[in-house]
Amino acid sequence: MLLQLNDIFKWVNSGGQRIFLLKDINLEVEEGEFISVMGPSGSGKSTLLNVIGMLDTFDEGEYNFLDESVHSLKEKHRSNLYKQYIGFVFQSYHLLDELTVKENLEMPLIYKKIKGSERKAMVADMLDRFNIVGKKDLFPAQLSGGQQQLVGVARALIANPKLILADEPTGNLNSTQGEEIMELFKQLNDEGVTIIQVTHSEKNAEYGSRIINLLDGRMV
Amino acid sequence: MLLNNLKIAWRSILKNKLFSLINVIGLSIGLCSALVIGAIIYFDFSFDTFHKDKDRIYRVTSLFKSEGDEFPNRGVAVPLMRTFREGIPGVELTAPFMNTSFSKIENKKQDLLFKDGNDAILADDAYFQLFDYEWLAGDKQTALSEPAQVVLSQKKAEKYFPHKNMTDIVGSTLLYNDSINVKVTGVVADFEKNTDLKFNEFMSLSSAKMFNGKDIATNDRWNGTSSGDQLFLRVKDESSVAGIQSRLDALAKEHKNPATWAANDERLFQLQALSDIHFGGEHEDYPFNNSDHVASMKVLKSLAFVALFLLLLGCANFINLNSAQALTRAKEIGIRKTLGSSKKQVVRQFLGETVILTTMATMLSLLMAPFLLRQFADFLPQGIDLSVLYSVKGIIGIVILVVLVSLLSGFYPAFVLSKFRPATVLKGQFTKGDKGVRLRKTLTVFQFVVAQVFVIATLLVAKQLHFVMNSDMGINTETVAYVRTPWRDASKVKKERLFFQIKDIEGLSNVSKGGAPPASNSMSSTMLSYFKDGNETHQPTEILMGDTTYLKTYGIPLLAGRERMNDSIDEYVVNETFARAIGFQDPKEVVGTVVKLDTLQIPIVGLMRDFNQRSLRSDIKPLAIKGHYNGMSFTNIHFDLGKNPEQWTKSIDAVEQALASVYPDEELEVQFMDEMVEGFYRSEKSTVQLLKWATGLAILISCMGLMGLVVYTTERRVKEIGVRKVLGANLAQLNLLLCKEFLILVGIAFAIAVPISWYLIQEWMQEFAYKTSLSWWVFMVSGVGMVVVALAVIGARTYRTANINPVESLRNE
Repeated sequence: MLLQLNDIFKWVNSGGQRIFLLKDINLEVEEGEFISVMGPSGSGKSTLLNVIGMLDTFDEGEYNFLDESVHSLKEKHRSNLYKQYIGFVFQSYHLLDELTVKENLEMPLIYKKIKGSERKAMVADMLDRFNIVGKKDLFPAQLSGGQQQLVGVARALIANPKLILADEPTGNLNSTQGEEIMELFKQLNDEGVTIIQVTHSEKNAEYGSRIINLLDGRMV
Repeated sequence: MLLNNLKIAWRSILKNKLFSLINVIGLSIGLCSALVIGAIIYFDFSFDTFHKDKDRIYRVTSLFKSEGDEFPNRGVAVPLMRTFREGIPGVELTAPFMNTSFSKIENKKQDLLFKDGNDAILADDAYFQLFDYEWLAGDKQTALSEPAQVVLSQKKAEKYFPHKNMTDIVGSTLLYNDSINVKVTGVVADFEKNTDLKFNEFMSLSSAKMFNGKDIATNDRWNGTSSGDQLFLRVKDESSVAGIQSRLDALAKEHKNPATWAANDERLFQLQALSDIHFGGEHEDYPFNNSDHVASMKVLKSLAFVALFLLLLGCANFINLNSAQALTRAKEIGIRKTLGSSKKQVVRQFLGETVILTTMATMLSLLMAPFLLRQFADFLPQGIDLSVLYSVKGIIGIVILVVLVSLLSGFYPAFVLSKFRPATVLKGQFTKGDKGVRLRKTLTVFQFVVAQVFVIATLLVAKQLHFVMNSDMGINTETVAYVRTPWRDASKVKKERLFFQIKDIEGLSNVSKGGAPPASNSMSSTMLSYFKDGNETHQPTEILMGDTTYLKTYGIPLLAGRERMNDSIDEYVVNETFARAIGFQDPKEVVGTVVKLDTLQIPIVGLMRDFNQRSLRSDIKPLAIKGHYNGMSFTNIHFDLGKNPEQWTKSIDAVEQALASVYPDEELEVQFMDEMVEGFYRSEKSTVQLLKWATGLAILISCMGLMGLVVYTTERRVKEIGVRKVLGANLAQLNLLLCKEFLILVGIAFAIAVPISWYLIQEWMQEFAYKTSLSWWVFMVSGVGMVVVALAVIGARTYRTANINPVESLRNE
């Protein structure tokens, strides 16, 4: 088992009232799954993804990731954990504007303290695999949305994560570009990477092996 | 990692060109002034630090106390030298020397004649034991042991004996003052490092008599002190200083001036450490008779403060802009964190950027430094330069400065930035209660307080300077000039000839002979005694020397009595202050009374109107004018150039011709009274100059800071402005809305700055006897001026923001 959420609650206090963002979430994810999270705006999809990605905390419940109990880890360990096992893909790509494609890909490796020569090899490998060798010295602003997202996925993959978290990865793309990305995810999943994606689109959700529906922070 | 950080830092600097520019320029201005002022301060602290045993070298100086006034004298009475030579416990070495000068030096062999025999001293071998010169030729132990022996510095030797080997010079003979044959017994290298010991001709002390000097062995004048008579000594160790001082106290008491008028006076002998000499001690007395610069601790301290404040302003800018920018960079940090960056790595990255910016600023400031230094050249000592900045010490200092400034200005922003939570910033939800706001506002207020204080101070100091330079001193300073006859050539005939030549020049009127002008830096003072009702009053009185036309030349009217009968009669004309000082309610009644000078009875025949004898820092002092008697003659010739300035050049040319014809060998100049008065306020003028610069720079930095803040704030409020516009707000309302926030800050700064500057100026004015008023309008003008400047800076930006089409600002991604 890759990760397990038990009775996760997350809330904010607003005007004396407790508003639940996540309510009693129980979820088990096995390695190799491809899960689509669906639900209307404000249903807690992104929050759930952030909690799984350890970018956000929760107020109650237990979260185990590869037999480590995330809820009791210190921030530093937590960051080590997700640095090693999780890759993120965002709706608005979130590439670093002042870095080239190559440098963007290199970034996570630097933070993992991988040696320079090894980094170069890994980046070259990834550029090759995604067919973006010709774009390696361009800055994100010089790429189309689809190409940027391609770089975003490549960057998420470069450190060989076990899990990819994608928050509406095709939200800013047109249908052809979106399809390409989804095909890519499917291919990655076939190679054994676990993927959890948030999506609005039924069609994209179909790529997944399991669909989780959220409404007002609850799994339905 | 490091390289990567640097690369990213460099790119993000380029990306935010405006912010980076403001940062770098603001910081480099602060750094530049810090460097220049640092070099100035270092210069003054580098004097005479190279001597062996420098911590054990002391000088004995005299301090005279009379009627609450203190008069320092860097010399001592000659018999004290003898006492020390005979041995004082705790003193390891006594090295007395006396300033001297020679009218003529001839190298007969090479047929050369030299005239500038200044920078010369009479010294003995002890001098060279105390101060370690490098001997190029001659024997250090005995070079000055006999009369008529001289040691020359290398430069002097090269001048007196051109194209000769140093070793050949030793043994040669020089003819001094037409009649004294002196053997050269040594050549020493000039000190290369900064020193106040700028002597280059060392005549043996035992030849003092030949040069009409005082002989240590026989002189017994315990109550005559000349500033050129120097007593240096080396103590055994630090602990013997107290013992020597108490011996000095005892000697001062033992040899107190026995004259009745001096009954209440006191003379102290004080030990002055070698390291204090350059700073002139408490009274800021010049180090030696031939020194042209004394370092003022007060000035250095204020300089250091100016540097510190300008530097802090630059740092404040930095913190302000970078923490303001933080939010625009939040996304980047969010991404970095999701990619696995730790807090520490973010901090390191932003500190890296700060270091790069600071280094750039330092480079820039090093380029600008020479220009800034030149601005202050007028009141800086000669020989100061920035080479220290490029020495090992200087570079280490600069590196430390860069690190300190980087930490000071980079730490807070880096810390703020690193605290962002990726999940929130990536969603685009910035925390509404932006915590940095209060800090940034505080920093902006701080910047404006400093700038405002500088502005007010500059205006008030300039006002005071204008006031003292333009207030009526009671004498004619505009059209009067004078010439000084050479003191070495005391020939009365020549003086008379010059006098009559000048008197005949067309356009000059009221030509008179006399001593120093009525207002000058030199003064002579004596003790007059006055009997009234059986009581004797001793009145210290300043004495002016002049003939019977002198007062007319300077436009000083007689209020009562008459002018003296002739130039040499023992009669006084006194001023009103003198009359009041010896007890006359109505000064006019002083005419007809008699005062006593030692044993001489001198009648007071006239009363002149009060005038300021010195700068307006000091009050009017009791004063009497006398003619020349006792065979003394007048040294100066004073004249009125008349009301027609076009004639002046012609008249002055004529005077200079007369000077040249009477004294062909001397370089004499016409001295103008208005220049003399200006000279009184040289230090005030340099203060104004310094303040002007500091003010300009402070305003510049603060405005840049303000601009940065405005840019940032307005950008953040673009959406709000769009909404307001859609709801019908017009341009003026929007501008007001945007400016208000900043004007309040400037207003707060003003409120804080007023009392601070009022206090500082009040303190500064203490030393003036005559003060300009601290008018409210000065404060108002500077406040309004600041608001106008701030408004210009703010307005330029807010206008643009208010003009943005709401369709654009409200469109969502």
